[in-house]
Amino acid sequence: MHFFASFTGSMTAFLIISVLIILCAIMLLSFRKVIYMALAIGGVFIGCAAVYILLGASFIGIAQVLIYAGAITILIMFAIMLTNHEAQEPPTKWSVKNIIIALGCALLGVALYLAIRHQTWSAQGTTVNQSSTVSNPVAIGMALFQQYTIPFELVSLLLIVGLVGAVILAQPRKEDEE
Amino acid sequence: MWNWSGASHLTWLNGLAMLIGTVIVLLLALGVVTYTIYAQRKILGWMQGRIGPNRLGPFGLMQTIADILKLLIKEDIIPEKADRSLFLLAPILAFVPSFMVLSVIPFSRTHVFTANISIGLLFYIALSAITIHGVMLGGWASNNKYALIGGMRSAAQMLSYEVPLGMSVLGVALMAGSLNLNTIVMSQHTGWWNIVPQFLGFCIFLVASTAELNRTPFDLPEAESELIAGYHIEYSGFRMAFFMLTEYVYLFAMAALCATLFLGGWSGPFLPGWLWFAIKVFAFIFFQFWIQNTMPRIRADHLMSFSWKVLLPLSLFNIVLTAVFKTIV
Repeated sequence: MHFFASFTGSMTAFLIISVLIILCAIMLLSFRKVIYMALAIGGVFIGCAAVYILLGASFIGIAQVLIYAGAITILIMFAIMLTNHEAQEPPTKWSVKNIIIALGCALLGVALYLAIRHQTWSAQGTTVNQSSTVSNPVAIGMALFQQYTIPFELVSLLLIVGLVGAVILAQPRKEDEE
Repeated sequence: MWNWSGASHLTWLNGLAMLIGTVIVLLLALGVVTYTIYAQRKILGWMQGRIGPNRLGPFGLMQTIADILKLLIKEDIIPEKADRSLFLLAPILAFVPSFMVLSVIPFSRTHVFTANISIGLLFYIALSAITIHGVMLGGWASNNKYALIGGMRSAAQMLSYEVPLGMSVLGVALMAGSLNLNTIVMSQHTGWWNIVPQFLGFCIFLVASTAELNRTPFDLPEAESELIAGYHIEYSGFRMAFFMLTEYVYLFAMAALCATLFLGGWSGPFLPGWLWFAIKVFAFIFFQFWIQNTMPRIRADHLMSFSWKVLLPLSLFNIVLTAVFKTIV
């Protein structure tokens, strides 16, 4: 009864979107050409963005499109195009190792599912943003720069460390070639 | 009057209205693109002391329609060595975002078919990045070295000029205190147009948008004399038309974005809102054709350093300047 009562427009949209995400994820795993995989992962990112928007988090949804579907997927494609043109994955073989890995993945999936089912979600957290009158980006800005200023600045520091670290890691390899 | 911004719940009636709105905006975009190409040829002809198209219909007005018809009935050739499915998918991937960004543009005062979303500006910038996939995959799937080089150049250029473009519009967002395009227009309606307080941002936006549109002097991805046509060299007929359509819809959308952000959108004295909007859009498009006719192509090695070393610091400076003024005033 409860399931059918909640079967509204947004529920239908969620079902369609999640089927599309899962389809893209399956295609990502089953494609043999690397460039097709990059395209499929782009589909997964866009589907996740759609779920965010459906939940009312439009800013995060669009940021997901901008960063993941836009920049990251293009970076992956660049890397693929600049390295190997006809890159193809070899077909999967059923060895003992692969079977153990598959069993482990299935167990992990079951464990995650049970953990999520047994968690009691507080109803309060979901209504905070929708009841307020300020728009979505304003609310995020307020939270980031008033409530969580120090963690936000620390994250930016972390990003800079990552950037500088990437440059330093890339440098000695260049000298080796020369 | 029915309005997208008022529809919070998706019902059958709202869905139907959205569908009709989409068809109307699509027809509008197609009409604008058709006559933008005509205007381009006429303006280029006028500037070069030629007449331009003048045979088909009065003043050659039917010329572009005939050209499009010719493109549509041409044979759709798929090279044998091309990656078939990606080759077929690429024009669609390129076109869909270019049309989707039109949904947040406030065309007129009543903005009947404008989505009143709180993140409209970010929506435009995020979606326009998806087009790069189409261009890049089209170049790669063609299995042609000119197409690959053109696609790579195009992707690198669009990606790096998107950063200063996004930064330059942040000044406008700071001025209006919102990312909603309707609110940005309303804030200009009551005060100055943003081109006055945000002149530096406007200049950065003009340069970065020209590069983003792959137009002269930043037309390296399509450089006819060295790359023949760039990423769409192997395309013909209908799919070629889709790539051209993408390019000109983006020209229209970018002009509309520029008018909305810096030139006050539909606001203006005496004339109705939609006419003001059309005048501002045409001014931007005319400027693009003017530049196209007078500027030589920029050198490939100057292209990237100009974006990262000149435009990006300038736009960061603009943001800081705007923020300081915003706190003081």
